[in-house]
Amino acid sequence: MSELAPRYSAAALLRARFDRHFWGPLWRRATPRDAYDVVVVGGGGHGLATAFHLARDHGLKRVAVVERKVIGYGNVGRNTTIVRSNYLLPDNFHFYEDSLRRYENLSQTLNFNVMYSSRGVVDLANSDDEMVMYARRGNAMRLAGIDAELLDRDGLRRFMPELDPSLPRRYPIVGGLLQRRGGTVRHDAVAWGYARAAAALGVDIIEECEVTGLSTAAGSATGVETSRGAIRAERVVFAVAGHTGAIGRMLGIPLPVETHLLQAMVTEPIKPLVSTVVSYMYGHAEVYMSQSDRGGLVMGGVLDGFPSYTREPLWHRLEEVVQGAVALFPQVAGLRILRHWAGTNDQTMDGSPLVGRLGYDNVFLNGGWCYGGFKAIPASGAACATLVATGQAPDLIRSFAPERFAAGRMLDEKGAGPFPLRQ
Amino acid sequence: MSASAPLRQGTRLSAERVTFRFDGRDYTGQRGDSAASALWAAGVRLLNRSIKYRRPRAFLALGPEEPNALLTVGPDPACVPNVPAPQLLVAPGLELRSQNRWPSLRYDLAATLLGLGNSFWGAGFYYKTFMWPSWRTYEPLIRKLAGLGYAPGASTLPAVPVRHLVADVVIAGGGPAGLVAALGAARAGLSVVLLEREPVLGGELEFEAATIDGEPALAWVERTVTSLEGLGVVTLTSTALTTVGESLAIAHQQPAGMPGNDTLYRVHAPLFVNAMGAVERSIAFVDNDRPGVMLVGAAERLLARYGVAPGRAVVLFGNHDRLYAAARRLREARVPVLAIIDTRTVAESPLRPLLMADGVECLLGHTVTAALGSPELRAVTVAAIDAPTRTRRIPADALLVSGGWSPYVYAGLQSGGRPDYRAELAAFTAEDQPEWRLACGAAAGHTDLGAVIASAQAAGQQLAGRARHTGADFAATPIVLGADAPPALQPYFRSPADAADEKRQFVDLQNDVTVADLRQALAEGFIDIEHVKRYTTLGVGTEQGRTGGTLGAAVVAELRGLPPAEVGLSRSRGPFQPVPMQALIGHRTATELRPARRTALHELHAAAGGELELMGGWLRPRYYTANGASAAAACIVEAGRVRSSGGICDASTLGKIEIRGADAAAFIDRVYLGRPSSIAVGRSRYAVLLREDGMVLDDGLLLRVAADHFLATTSSSHLAHVLAHLEFHRDTAGAGRRVALTDVTEAWSVIVVAGPTSRTVLNEVLGGSGAAAVNRLSHMDVIDTTWGGFRVRVLRASFSGELAYEVHCQPAAAPLLWTRLAGSGLLPFGLEALDVLRVEKGYLTTSEITGQTTPQDLRMDRLVAAAPDSIGVALLGRPGLSDPERPILVGLHATDPAARFYGGAQLTETADSVHSIGYVTSSVYSPTLGRWVGLALVARRLAGNGTALVARDPIRDGDTAVSIVPAAHVDPRNERMKG
Amino acid sequence: MSSFGCPFCGPRPLEEFSFHKTLPNVPGGAFEEVYLRSDDPTDSHEHWQHRYGCRAWLYVRRNPSTGRILEVRQLTGSAP
Repeated sequence: MSELAPRYSAAALLRARFDRHFWGPLWRRATPRDAYDVVVVGGGGHGLATAFHLARDHGLKRVAVVERKVIGYGNVGRNTTIVRSNYLLPDNFHFYEDSLRRYENLSQTLNFNVMYSSRGVVDLANSDDEMVMYARRGNAMRLAGIDAELLDRDGLRRFMPELDPSLPRRYPIVGGLLQRRGGTVRHDAVAWGYARAAAALGVDIIEECEVTGLSTAAGSATGVETSRGAIRAERVVFAVAGHTGAIGRMLGIPLPVETHLLQAMVTEPIKPLVSTVVSYMYGHAEVYMSQSDRGGLVMGGVLDGFPSYTREPLWHRLEEVVQGAVALFPQVAGLRILRHWAGTNDQTMDGSPLVGRLGYDNVFLNGGWCYGGFKAIPASGAACATLVATGQAPDLIRSFAPERFAAGRMLDEKGAGPFPLRQ
Repeated sequence: MSASAPLRQGTRLSAERVTFRFDGRDYTGQRGDSAASALWAAGVRLLNRSIKYRRPRAFLALGPEEPNALLTVGPDPACVPNVPAPQLLVAPGLELRSQNRWPSLRYDLAATLLGLGNSFWGAGFYYKTFMWPSWRTYEPLIRKLAGLGYAPGASTLPAVPVRHLVADVVIAGGGPAGLVAALGAARAGLSVVLLEREPVLGGELEFEAATIDGEPALAWVERTVTSLEGLGVVTLTSTALTTVGESLAIAHQQPAGMPGNDTLYRVHAPLFVNAMGAVERSIAFVDNDRPGVMLVGAAERLLARYGVAPGRAVVLFGNHDRLYAAARRLREARVPVLAIIDTRTVAESPLRPLLMADGVECLLGHTVTAALGSPELRAVTVAAIDAPTRTRRIPADALLVSGGWSPYVYAGLQSGGRPDYRAELAAFTAEDQPEWRLACGAAAGHTDLGAVIASAQAAGQQLAGRARHTGADFAATPIVLGADAPPALQPYFRSPADAADEKRQFVDLQNDVTVADLRQALAEGFIDIEHVKRYTTLGVGTEQGRTGGTLGAAVVAELRGLPPAEVGLSRSRGPFQPVPMQALIGHRTATELRPARRTALHELHAAAGGELELMGGWLRPRYYTANGASAAAACIVEAGRVRSSGGICDASTLGKIEIRGADAAAFIDRVYLGRPSSIAVGRSRYAVLLREDGMVLDDGLLLRVAADHFLATTSSSHLAHVLAHLEFHRDTAGAGRRVALTDVTEAWSVIVVAGPTSRTVLNEVLGGSGAAAVNRLSHMDVIDTTWGGFRVRVLRASFSGELAYEVHCQPAAAPLLWTRLAGSGLLPFGLEALDVLRVEKGYLTTSEITGQTTPQDLRMDRLVAAAPDSIGVALLGRPGLSDPERPILVGLHATDPAARFYGGAQLTETADSVHSIGYVTSSVYSPTLGRWVGLALVARRLAGNGTALVARDPIRDGDTAVSIVPAAHVDPRNERMKG
Repeated sequence: MSSFGCPFCGPRPLEEFSFHKTLPNVPGGAFEEVYLRSDDPTDSHEHWQHRYGCRAWLYVRRNPSTGRILEVRQLTGSAP
């Protein structure tokens, strides 16, 4: 492990100035060993965080993360970087609040600057009726000790002067719900930071290794088949957002999951303009926007519209998001869209995650993150690690078990029912 | 150039002088000049500073891929940032600003400070620091330093028209390849749209001195353009391809190189040809970003288009034979060329001895190791590649560099396309193309004009074949003479440098990514090209890695000791060229963002002071200002008046679906709860339908007009969902498909006439047979009649709890009927008053039908019991749906009659509890009861009448003690509406 | 995938069509039909509606990894 990057500190930075070989790799390119305590399938945010917590919190020495491509290739590097816990349902806001608290300290936890920026998240309301809905959500959060404020137009003007809420708009802006501790985090850094911290604890990160099957004996899993040979494992965790459905197919367990594309886009970089994270609904469409530290306006909207694994975003959805962005901030009309891209989301039938056992006593699913996966990573990693290490789901994720649908205990945040496009 | 300087000659220029401003000073160019050419001609060598290190920069390329010379156009607040100076046409009075500098372009404070910390500041630096105590401490300052252009404070851009074109093929690129392919396709009878991003056609023929079919190249271009016009080809210049998919291409036209007069084209064509050419790339050497270092092609364009010499002492540097052709053209234009530094050991160009005879120093096996001078170029150091430390200095104010060309493959890497490394190009082409997509010319990897034209000729024939046009009339392939010889390129990407100097070997100029950054990324384990890109920001600028992407990948390959093919190309993302948001919105912004629907009574509401608000896509009156200054005040007056005498309300937006046909009765039993097929003709009933998962989708009334004819009403905002739901189950139901479903929402205006006087006034207004019919109506009866020759349907039903009627009429009749009713003393009331009336009665809206509530939650058990086979019922038996903690509908009032509580308050058992057991769905001040009443969803175990709870509302007013009461607060026995 | 062949209207732009759901690949009752999805990456059986066109409900087979449409026909009571 000595070849890995040393701990970051002012002293280390100074030493590195005189020693160009000072920084080693953040993680080792491990080759598969014969057997592990836990094999985590998927080298994205959730898989890496789960492995980190298995090693750090539960002292497991033999943990591997197996990734088909390279770590961080999927949704952890394709999202709009927003973190928040302003959910309506208690099971959701308790979980996401735990995650947000972990994000607040994640740079220190990982000794890696993930650039958590508590710039505030504002959901704008079009009408007094929507203000009532936001009041319901904000009150639920406040009772749970989570920060939330209801802003009227004057409050909005004070909080984000770049927005003129009184401009004539088809969907007027009457106020909004603010969570000040919400904000953004540099997405790639989360994957790299967890990978580095996990590797430092001895986790094997095995890239370019595709899992092709699960080995079982006597009703239990014994390991995974991969493109680089069989690997034995006491326990297997699947954390492959965007391919959760494929895991269900591999195991012969149909899941309440449909895979949809969600696209994001960014403009050319400019000097500071949008100071916060803001979301604006207009009819069935939505735009959410923040300005990255490089200066580009990062935006997203609703799902592209049908199942897809192509990662090729639809053009008309980009146009729809841009229409909302300009209605919100007319001053940005001349800025150019530099690029748009898409991630594949494992959308569940109530829009909430699926975390729990999957078919076997020692196989676990960490998925169903829909379009909310990035903000969930730290809590997901910690809670899923506890589930895997102890066999007991911690309270934080107990209601995320896939059995909830049959039990009639859906976590349907928006009342959209089993139709991801309405969620 | 001053106003008295001699006029320049160039293919793009006219003789008219144009004065514009740059950084507060006036400059004069000629009409047709780009900002880059006019400033360069005027001796301006410093155009901008870079994003990260604030290095002084001019331009590298002379096209949209320009990474450096990005200017902000126009004064604040409505400025437009990051406009590439090479594309930007100068115009009288145009105001331009350089970016990323303070206090001035020449003396930038941050550049000085960053220079001191330079060795800290490499790739990945941010991840290692700025976390103590928190990133938020540093972020505001870093944000101000980052970001290229100025942030606009307003926009005055006009709306961008969207034009649709339909064709057999769209061809992107109007250079020799695009022209020949277009000609071939058009002659074969295909309709063609040809896109060219420059204002003129011809591409590199603008400076390449060949003859085609015996004519000078530019004369051939002119003749070909005439032929294309004759064949009906639609040619769009200044138009860049934005994106292309199967059967649809988006193109963006921007005539002056800046927003303001744009057009967006949607070209519907089943075939696409990529003839977009290739992008020239640089070579990494120390300080290769100095103003004066530019691509060979940029210098050639500068000279041919604008008559501007790149410098007074010019050195060329590269790895192929085109250097000699370019040098000859420069010398013919009397540009002093001092030396040609060729990295190859052998050069067979016949031009080379001629240039040497003219006194040009031609070095083989040599490289430029560094650019000298600051801020602008003064000299270069060169060395033999095998002895890189023995350098010598050659004075130069312009260094023209070329490391080869990367085919413009981006359109070919989607929908299954794959990059393929071609050693002879030291670049990638796109393979595995789908049937609908072709490439030709330089975009397909052809490097000399003859091959370019031959490939385009073949593409034209393929197009005809794919479009199944046989017997096409193909002309002979044009004959090319005197073109530049094939480049005979030998890959060369960077010159040797000490480790410390690698920090100044730039690979991606816009993002200040250097060889040192790439090396650092690799050392830290970022090996995959996608990882390298994200760690170093290689290729994520406004030019999307057009100039730096292939170079960066090649340097990574060299540092890793791998062939470039194994490193690959980082994934490219659309749009191919950045496109302003204004061009994507058409008219859809502000109040035109989406259409708003208006009822037939819209003008009457507006004239009566109705406060109109968009609800479910309709503009509807919330209240009438005559009744109060705010919704809260007016609704009390309006609701009170309905209960004391009466009023009218526009309910036209109510969704209305006709369900007709032989199977209609069976069908509604399948989709609605409560066996509605038992409704008698001329009667109606409250009806509820469930989503497939058992949640209530909507409620409304079902009217039976005839045995095989029902009319269903829906909530305004649920109409679209309900209609699709009914159609789906009609098409899949076992109950039979002989059912027609028709949305008749806009065929009927609906006026609600409510209150104790409603019957009298309605009789008076309808008169005659209509009045007689109304008189006979019992609660929930419906009758069709006429009024003034218009069809009218009167339904006695109530959402207010009063004696009330819904009068459905043809929209043409609605304004007069409304006016008569109002004239007879029934004043209008708005949606707020309607909400007060329905909450007083405990009726439901979308506040309770949230998609999260079951029929049992909403106390509709009786309807469920009557319909065990209806859609959604099967899943209602799940245990969680009857959990004692699951909320159920209750009525609430404030325990203290003077206290208020609001919708959205959370309910707890005690004032100090933070455990929510439900929430207030709706609350109103009841003018009838003189207190606040509401509806709520409360855990079943606590839902008994009389239970004391606390409505906790920390986000607004605070807490209010409330008690559970029956949901029907007013007239629970319905005596008023049934009387 | 930017257009769609409606059996009644011919090729029409994608924006006119609304995706509804993918079908489960397991037989079963209401629960399976409502909540489970096959989520097949190469052969997806789906319900769509030509919502901003003729409003026909359609049974569609697609390859979600390429966007290629394999089959479109009118949805009938007996179809999957």
